[in-house]
Amino acid sequence: PPRPADFKLQVIIIGSRGVGKTSLMERFTDDTFCEACKSTVGVDFKIKTVELRGKKIRLQIWDTAGQERFNSITSAYYRSAKGIILVYDITKKETFDDLPKWMKMIDKYASEDAELLLVGNKLDCEMDREVSRQQGEKFAQQITGMRFCEASAKDNFNVDEIFLKLVDDILKKMPLDVLRNELSNSILSLQPEPEVPPELPPPRPHVRCC
Amino acid sequence: MGATRGRSVGGVGGGREAEAAEVAEVAAGAEVAGEAGMAKSSGENGPRAPAAAGSLSGTRENLAQGPDAATADELSSLGSDSEANGFVEHRIDKFGFIVGSQGAEDSLEEVPLEVLRQRESKWLDMLNNWDKWMAKKHKKIRLRCQKGIPPSLRGRAWQYLSGGKVKLQQNPGKFDELDMSPGDPKWLDVIERDLHRQFPFHEMFVSRGGHGQQDLFRVLKAYTLYRPEEGYCQAQAPIAAVLLMHMPAEQAFWCLVQICEKYLPGYYSEKLEAIQLDGEILFSLLQKVSPVAHKHLSRQKIDPLLYMTEWFMCAFARTLPWSSVLRVWDMFFCEGVKIIFRVGLVLLKHALGSPEKLKACQGQYETIEQLRSLNPKIMQEAFLVQEVVELPITERQIEREHLIQLRRWQETRGELQCRSPPRLHGAKAILDAEPSLRGALQPSPSIRLPPDVPLPSSKAKPKPPKQAQKEQKRTKASGHLDKLPAPGQATAVTAGGDACAPQDVTLKNPASQDPAPQDSAPQDLAHHCSQESLTSQDSEDTYL
Repeated sequence: PPRPADFKLQVIIIGSRGVGKTSLMERFTDDTFCEACKSTVGVDFKIKTVELRGKKIRLQIWDTAGQERFNSITSAYYRSAKGIILVYDITKKETFDDLPKWMKMIDKYASEDAELLLVGNKLDCEMDREVSRQQGEKFAQQITGMRFCEASAKDNFNVDEIFLKLVDDILKKMPLDVLRNELSNSILSLQPEPEVPPELPPPRPHVRCC
Repeated sequence: MGATRGRSVGGVGGGREAEAAEVAEVAAGAEVAGEAGMAKSSGENGPRAPAAAGSLSGTRENLAQGPDAATADELSSLGSDSEANGFVEHRIDKFGFIVGSQGAEDSLEEVPLEVLRQRESKWLDMLNNWDKWMAKKHKKIRLRCQKGIPPSLRGRAWQYLSGGKVKLQQNPGKFDELDMSPGDPKWLDVIERDLHRQFPFHEMFVSRGGHGQQDLFRVLKAYTLYRPEEGYCQAQAPIAAVLLMHMPAEQAFWCLVQICEKYLPGYYSEKLEAIQLDGEILFSLLQKVSPVAHKHLSRQKIDPLLYMTEWFMCAFARTLPWSSVLRVWDMFFCEGVKIIFRVGLVLLKHALGSPEKLKACQGQYETIEQLRSLNPKIMQEAFLVQEVVELPITERQIEREHLIQLRRWQETRGELQCRSPPRLHGAKAILDAEPSLRGALQPSPSIRLPPDVPLPSSKAKPKPPKQAQKEQKRTKASGHLDKLPAPGQATAVTAGGDACAPQDVTLKNPASQDPAPQDSAPQDLAHHCSQESLTSQDSEDTYL
């Protein structure tokens, strides 16, 4: 039988409607892509177990509705997230212009130590690009600790990297005792999980299907 | 796509015949609807296209005898949307979905042909004498909605039940006017991005820019113009799409208006407060229906919004197998939101309602997973409908719980920010509250005039005196009293107007025991807080 996860982490994906939040999640968790993905109503989540730094991590990915009026519902899920993936669509300038609004949401609802990652999605539509890579980079630089990358859920480019990088950053930031603590406090940890061994081997990202 | 998970599609052998029969039935529907003055020309809307070419005589029997290939060819040759997208090769099931696109298929629960024909003639009689039926035999209508509306008449029946038909007649040309307006670019962009995301495996919506998507755009855009303060909510798109599968754009628009303003007021408004309240109400009702499931969800600290948001906002259109969606909507249009609550409760009860079932979902994730991939058996048409009909959850209980949860909300989060009109529990309550029957639009529900005084009206037709007299009797019969909203109170509560629930709602505001009906146009209602009780036993008004 597969050994149980060493610990669990929550990540939330936010961003304007239609930027590909659900597609990124589904590409990562199921390696599928649906051209006509239904719009998300409310919140949804999926689980994927990844192995990183020799640890088995059960990653809970929260996918949120992008339309502003759903914020009243989705904001409740910011708090427990250790990582936040903020997505915009490189072919839609307005989704980039919306970023400050999303930053406000993060400031208001997210935990202060949550890792932030900005993702410019739909890199497969390079021809229709409206937001340059530099613009994305520049925006991320203004925010302390925010990483940036461009990706394509459709072409499966940089998708695993996004999630793994984020998880890696979260792990690096966490002292081991916090990890243990996380484990016991996790809303998902009703089943007892084994303790995290004291040392972490060097980072060697490797995705494994759960 | 979750919408039609486990949905059943015509069997391998008889698939084409089933299609043929369905085309014939749709044909009958289109023909009937055509008589009733459908605005949109036929021959444009995918599955309806060949239908309109047929006639009422094209019954299941004689079409089914025809050569197998005829229907499929007919479908594609008449310019269905799927053709444009290279989907000609795909077979389409009786509901218009591409066969095989919806995952596992279970056996169809076919209504025997003779029974179907009988039901059709019964429904035709009802629809042709709708006012009398609504006035005198409302329970019979309810029963027949529970049995399922014949597919050929479903679209028409939904229009009658919801009052969408009346709305259309009261507002001739209104949809066209909205349709011609350019619309607010802010909303157009959002709507456009959602068009291809609604039932992409339904023949009508499969092609980008096809007729189905065009109509969806028109309907949703029209709504943002009709209610600029509400705008567009993403959850409205699947609702509108289901309507468009059954009726032309103008009719679908008015049915959408009725759903957003009468059946589920506030669901799609800014802040989404109504759905959050209903989440609490659902959870509270679950305690009565299934203490085991309730306890489990409490212990797991699972917010009702996590599982019920899409259920309720999309009226299960994305959750249940398609045949069940239609049956649920049949009952929903007749009996109102109670049906949505009951379906949710039945699903929760059967997914989490016993210790054995809970063994499989010890954690939060496993529990949600259980609710997301529900056992097809509990969603299966016959089982689900039976359970829903039998579940003893009444409008009164829902309203009582509404008051409790509203009070709790006000204590913890302050006043509601969006003021919605009262929720009307189904066709009868909507009919009884229909302001045009009283002949006038009033600026505020708190202003009362004798019912027979003609009022200046911008949109509604003047009210015949006979109807006015009738109204005086309203709301007295059950000892039900209208309640005035307390100043500044942003609540909207309706005690049910359905005959099946005994009415004895406790009055919260004894100062306003005024038995006179509250007249108010829904246009105005949207901005007022009001508490109304709508009950009527007598209504012979002819409005069609």
